[in-house]
Formats: sequence, structure tokens, C-alpha cells
Amino acid sequence: MVSLSRYIRNVRRIGLREWFRAMQYGIGDAKSGTLVGSDQFGNRYFENLNAEEEIPGRHRWVDYRQNDFNGSQVPPEWHSWLTHIRKDPPTQDPVVQSSTPAWKAPYIENLTGTRGAYRSYNTAAPKIKAWEPTVSGRR
Amino acid sequence: MSLARRLALQQSRTRVALRPAQSQGSIIARQFLARSLSTSSARLYAQHTPDHDHAHPPASASSSADLDVNPYKGQASAVDKAVHLFFFTEILRGMWIVMEQIFRPPYTIMYPFEKGPLSPRFRGEHALRRYPSGEERCIACKLCEAICPAQAITIESEARADGSRRTTKYDIDMTKCIYCGFCQEACPVDAIVETQHYEYSTETREELLYNKEKLLANGDRAEAEIAANLQADHAYR
Repeated sequence: MVSLSRYIRNVRRIGLREWFRAMQYGIGDAKSGTLVGSDQFGNRYFENLNAEEEIPGRHRWVDYRQNDFNGSQVPPEWHSWLTHIRKDPPTQDPVVQSSTPAWKAPYIENLTGTRGAYRSYNTAAPKIKAWEPTVSGRR
Repeated sequence: MSLARRLALQQSRTRVALRPAQSQGSIIARQFLARSLSTSSARLYAQHTPDHDHAHPPASASSSADLDVNPYKGQASAVDKAVHLFFFTEILRGMWIVMEQIFRPPYTIMYPFEKGPLSPRFRGEHALRRYPSGEERCIACKLCEAICPAQAITIESEARADGSRRTTKYDIDMTKCIYCGFCQEACPVDAIVETQHYEYSTETREELLYNKEKLLANGDRAEAEIAANLQADHAYR
């Protein structure tokens, strides 16, 4: 499966441009498969169910839009497809489609280490009020 | 007299003494004696050989032939064994098995491009859910706070203006949490759940002290995935 002939075959299938992108910013391997879909960020999701070409377990993969990629850039619906929880991609999955509420918030990747990182704060009003001395005015 | 020599003498003595005996019981006794006294061939009796007859014919057959059992019959000769021992062929065979793996495809999953399979019951980052109308589910019953073995959950509640009881504070210390999933099992309204999201590592500790807004935001983003997972698992709950 992992062989020179597979590598050359996949490079010929995906083209030199995609191959260069995969080697430079992506998975570091020549993989070819069907484009299943892309999410709202432009990440593209691929699948190759042919067990002769891809080892089962490596048959679903993502090509991140950003060159500075990280694992949390996958939105939850595609995350459940990528981690093999759902069989169908979210564009075709009736359960995911029907359970998407109107108030669904836009997904934000893990922003730790940046200025957008989450900072904890108290959501309840303080129960202790400090004494604030007030000076009575002069008469 | 050494122990080995004494044993050998004893063995020969029992053989001599038992040779004239012909009955079935004496054979058993002989085998027992021989087994207890011989040093090497005990396994010979325990092993099942294909030419061994289970019918156990009466012991009228020549018992002297039985006594001269050749333990090396049909096996590798001592020279062969010595050759294998001398040239480390077992080690070489083991190394060959290891070397075969070089030519086999690796099973490495190229994270984060490929991800390992997860269960819909996977217990990852927490989230607070809402009803389809947008109303938050949590009714501040504090069952999750009570059952949490790590005591990671802190809840304060107040009556809202419309009279319904809601939390004003729902904090989870994710550094304390042991991800046991008791909170989502205890929850009567499926408000607190553990999502399948696990890529929330942070640079500082305080980013892991989740408050209610953060948990609700998690739920608002991942509601489709959470609902699909609950739907996939509802038959077993």
C-alpha cells in the first residue's frame, strides 16, 4: 500500500499543484480520493474507501485551508464525520441536518495563545460588598 | 554420593525390580516411579502424540520395549539443536519478524489531517445545551454538582424575573474534571453533556476554568453534533 507505485499514482491523480500543497502545508503524503465536501472555512474533506489504496483508518482526511493549521479548525459537524462518528458527511446526513437549530453559533477554533483566548470571569453578582466609606460633607 | 548419582541408581533399581511385573497396575506404578525419578522425560508422557492409542491395550505387549523409550525419536538430532544454538537462529528468526515490518504499510494516523475513530459516547469538553426554542436547559437542580467525584462543578442559582429557576453561576474547573461522565448521566434535562471535542488545550491554567457563558457557547456551536450523537445513542439509554 505504501509504495513508490502508490505514491506516483496518487501524484498523477491529484496533480503536481495539489501534491506540492500536500507536501508543503498538508499531510506530507500523496493521497488521492473523492472530495466529499468543504466546510464554511474552506477546509476540504476527502475520502477514499478503496482498502487497496488507503489503509482503513486513514481513509478520511482533511486539507486545511489555512497554512497555519491545527486540529481544532474542523467544525463540529465535520469533526464527527472525520472521527468516524457519523457515516455520512454533514451535507448529506439527515440527522445532523434536522438537528441544526436556528440559533447555532458560528464555530471558533481554539484561540489559546492569542488575544482572542477565553478568559474566565465570574457570572454571578458578588455576595460580599466591600464597605465604601463616604465622607459626610462639611457643615 | 551425589544426588544425581543416587537418583540414577535408584531408577535402575526400580527398573530391575519392576521388569518381571506384567499387570496393568504395575505399569501405572512403574510409570509413576519413572516419572518421579527421571529428570527429563516427564513431558514425554504428558504430551499427546498422534500415534498414541487411547484404547490402552492390555499390557501383554513387550514391556521391555516400552522401557527403552527413545526421547529423541522423530525429533531434531542433538547436532541440529547444537547448530541452532550456536548460530542463534531463534534470535535471527525473531529479528526477521521485526524486519518484515519495514516492508509493511505503517498504521500511523496522520493527525490532525486524519483522526482516530471516536464513539458517540466519547467524553470530551463539556457543553451546556439549549432547548430548540433557545431556552437554556439547565434548571439548577445541582445533581451534577452533587455527583461530581472531583467536585469540579460549582453552581449558584436564582429565580429569574419570570419565576423560573436558573443558574447564575455554572463553573466547571476543567483541571479538576476527571471526565467520568457522571454529570451528563445525572442530568434530568440533558443540559450538561460532554461533547466529542477534545482539542481545547490551553496555554494557561485559567483558560480551563470554564464559566456558564463558555459552556453555553460550546453548546451553541456544537448543538448539531451533540443532538446527532444523542440520537445515535438513544436506544441504549
